Amino acid sequence: MLNFCLRRLAVGIGMLIALSLLIFILLRLAPGDPIDAYINPNVAMSQEEMAAVRARLGLDQPLPVQYLAWLGGALRGDLGFSLQRNGETVLGLVAQRIGPTLLLMGTGLAIAIVVGIGAGIIGAVRRNSATDLGLSVAAFLGISSPAFLTALVGLYVFSVLLRWAPSGGMLTPGAPFSLGDLASHLILPALLLSIGHAALIMRYMRASLLEVLNQDYVRSARAKGVKEFWVVVKHALRNALLPVVTLIGSTIGIAVGGAIFLESVFNWPGMGLLLVNAVETRDYPVIMGATLVVGACVILANLLTDIAYAAIDPRIQVA
Amino acid sequence: MRFRMLASALALAAAMAWAPGAPAVAQEPSTITGGFDVGPGGFQGNFNPLAATGGFTWLSLYFEPLVINDDKLESIVGDLASSYEVSADKLQYTFKLADAKWHDGQPFTSADVKFTIDTAKNGATGTVFAARLGAIASVETPDAKTAVLKLSAPNAGLLATLTQLMMLPQHALKDIPSDTLAKHEWWSKSPIGTGPYKFSRYVTDQYVELAANPDYRGGKPVTDRIINRYFANTAAAVAALRSGEIAFSYVEADDVATFQGNDGFKVIEGNSYVVNYLGFNQEVPLWKDVRVRQAVMHAINRDAIVQSLYKGAAEIANCGYVADHLLPSGLDAYAYDPEKAKQLLAEAGWDQINGSKPIPLLTYYNTPLASNVLAAVQAMLGQVGINVVPRAVDTPTYNATIYAQNPDWSQFPLVYAGLQNGPDPSAINIGLNEKQIPPAGANFLRIRMPEVTGAFDAALNETDDSKRAERYQAVCKAMNANLPWATMWVAKRYGVASAKLKDFVWIPAPAGGPFAAHPEKWALGN
Repeated sequence: MLNFCLRRLAVGIGMLIALSLLIFILLRLAPGDPIDAYINPNVAMSQEEMAAVRARLGLDQPLPVQYLAWLGGALRGDLGFSLQRNGETVLGLVAQRIGPTLLLMGTGLAIAIVVGIGAGIIGAVRRNSATDLGLSVAAFLGISSPAFLTALVGLYVFSVLLRWAPSGGMLTPGAPFSLGDLASHLILPALLLSIGHAALIMRYMRASLLEVLNQDYVRSARAKGVKEFWVVVKHALRNALLPVVTLIGSTIGIAVGGAIFLESVFNWPGMGLLLVNAVETRDYPVIMGATLVVGACVILANLLTDIAYAAIDPRIQVA
Repeated sequence: MRFRMLASALALAAAMAWAPGAPAVAQEPSTITGGFDVGPGGFQGNFNPLAATGGFTWLSLYFEPLVINDDKLESIVGDLASSYEVSADKLQYTFKLADAKWHDGQPFTSADVKFTIDTAKNGATGTVFAARLGAIASVETPDAKTAVLKLSAPNAGLLATLTQLMMLPQHALKDIPSDTLAKHEWWSKSPIGTGPYKFSRYVTDQYVELAANPDYRGGKPVTDRIINRYFANTAAAVAALRSGEIAFSYVEADDVATFQGNDGFKVIEGNSYVVNYLGFNQEVPLWKDVRVRQAVMHAINRDAIVQSLYKGAAEIANCGYVADHLLPSGLDAYAYDPEKAKQLLAEAGWDQINGSKPIPLLTYYNTPLASNVLAAVQAMLGQVGINVVPRAVDTPTYNATIYAQNPDWSQFPLVYAGLQNGPDPSAINIGLNEKQIPPAGANFLRIRMPEVTGAFDAALNETDDSKRAERYQAVCKAMNANLPWATMWVAKRYGVASAKLKDFVWIPAPAGGPFAAHPEKWALGN
């Protein structure tokens, strides 16, 4: 197991370096740089002034020099400074932002897992009933609703019309910190983030459980007179969870994408909002640093999924 | 038993909370929360006024300039300068300074004025003012309360530039090296100004909080705190405004109708001071013949677009200006006349010049309104045989395309853009004067029209105030005849404030102002 983890970590580091190179190249291929993003087209500025600022930021250096300087710093744990913010290090910004993103993603995924697995079990146990049909329709709606639509509709209905939840941010500006305030800001984006994932998990759980419930060993358990509740919980559920765990692991990468969008809509101060702002302002060091950290999280999540897989099913060897 | 104990404890707590004579809860500080950096005049995340191309509505709550626009943008009045004099030859500006103090209690003196101007002229500090202050040869400080600016040549736009130059404390900044000043953490951690509010804190990408400055020379502010909330876009700010979380925001013209007639809100309308135009790239052979440019003007039904898309909230522009005192008589109104446009194109030999080949129309305007406007322009030009294809890109892409070292002219043979045209009419010089062709300026369309350049030069060098309007009328006339741009309109801009806000002054000024808003008087009623 240790060997497996170390091997995967080494591969992960190689992937992160490749990722950083890819992002660096893509960024430099994209039109515009931090200075172009800085200029208000309605308030003109001369090219001479722009060139002076470019030189001050080191953006006039050859690209390989810029990349190697960044990589050298990154390997020493120094991700540099934001080009668009006042004296803020990329590491400091990422450290500030990762917590809110984990909170939003964690809450959203926890809701999705609880609701998705619960609804999947109910759907499978009450197969073809009105409840099953209702849950399936809801799941299809959830899967087929694009995140931008659910986020904007949710914001409009629950914040603007009903005023049940704040329209954005993580805490009320200027108010002292309280868990209640945090929860009131968290609940709406977390619920909206969970919709698509819950629907997907529900479909997988239902299908997987139905398949397991038709296995011979389940039939044997029933024949021995085990109560249906225990047949499902004790005999069928554990095996049915395997594909769902795989799905949840792969969902984490997708959830990052969803969180990026939701953070923009709800102005949630996480990695997503940081990345979107950085891309809009072509803040190269922040884009590089934030992408690296998100990439590392996804790689780590996949590793943890493999380990969880082995824990659920001891027959699976990860070494 | 346990339940009973819990119930008793809850009942006791409730009784204590409601008991008469219970200690009073400390009064919440009065707070105005708004989206003060939303929209084209805002600049979220920028705290450095030397690098600001917007955001002056907010910055001027804690920093102050020597002189400031009045709240109608009609004249420039003293702010940190209690009075000022300009010599007859326009080469010397003398400012008498107000009796003001920095937020740390130190006095504001002429040494701060000299330090600010020297810093703003130093390109190493990342300033955007260096070129605009280039005419200042020296700053003299005969005494602590007098600053004298000596110019090497008259500069008609100097006072307008000074309205955006926020005074900075020499004692706090003098030890920061020039090349690290632009992004120094001082700006967003502990800045001090002389304004009615003091910087309190910045919660990254969420909000900025200011606290009342009790020692403000204009009197202690009525409201204890002002909070500037950040938003990813205008729609998010409008949602927060509608839900009552903020008391003010800039809004897009499309949103105005939903607030009009609502007693809970007050709609504020103003001139955008941005003239929108179709810009002809003179490096491509398409637009050399003035008859082609005239045909573009005649082909577009600007009245119909203003009425149907802008709902009347824009003023047709037949040159770079729409202000009455800058418009000479006898301007060609270029009335909508597609037949005349076709005739002009035929006379110019459009079939040989380009014919029906597609012409990219580059823009950085990405709003739904702009998309509709460009669709209408595309259809109208298509009717006369000019096949334009709008291409909307983000601002960095637009700037990178037009300001490239070796521009690819085929990427922007035609642009739909805007340029600040007031309150100082010289603002558009940078985009039209031949001397402003990059790298010197922002004439990225490479307009080389002697009549236009000559008119601008005459206006900029005019030292007689009574003749300035006349000079800019000549600029307008030259633009109208030569058509370096097909000028379209100057749109209105809007803000919406809660009806609870009292004595609140805001106008949709270019770059957010600044203007004499007297934030020390702002209050939030019940």
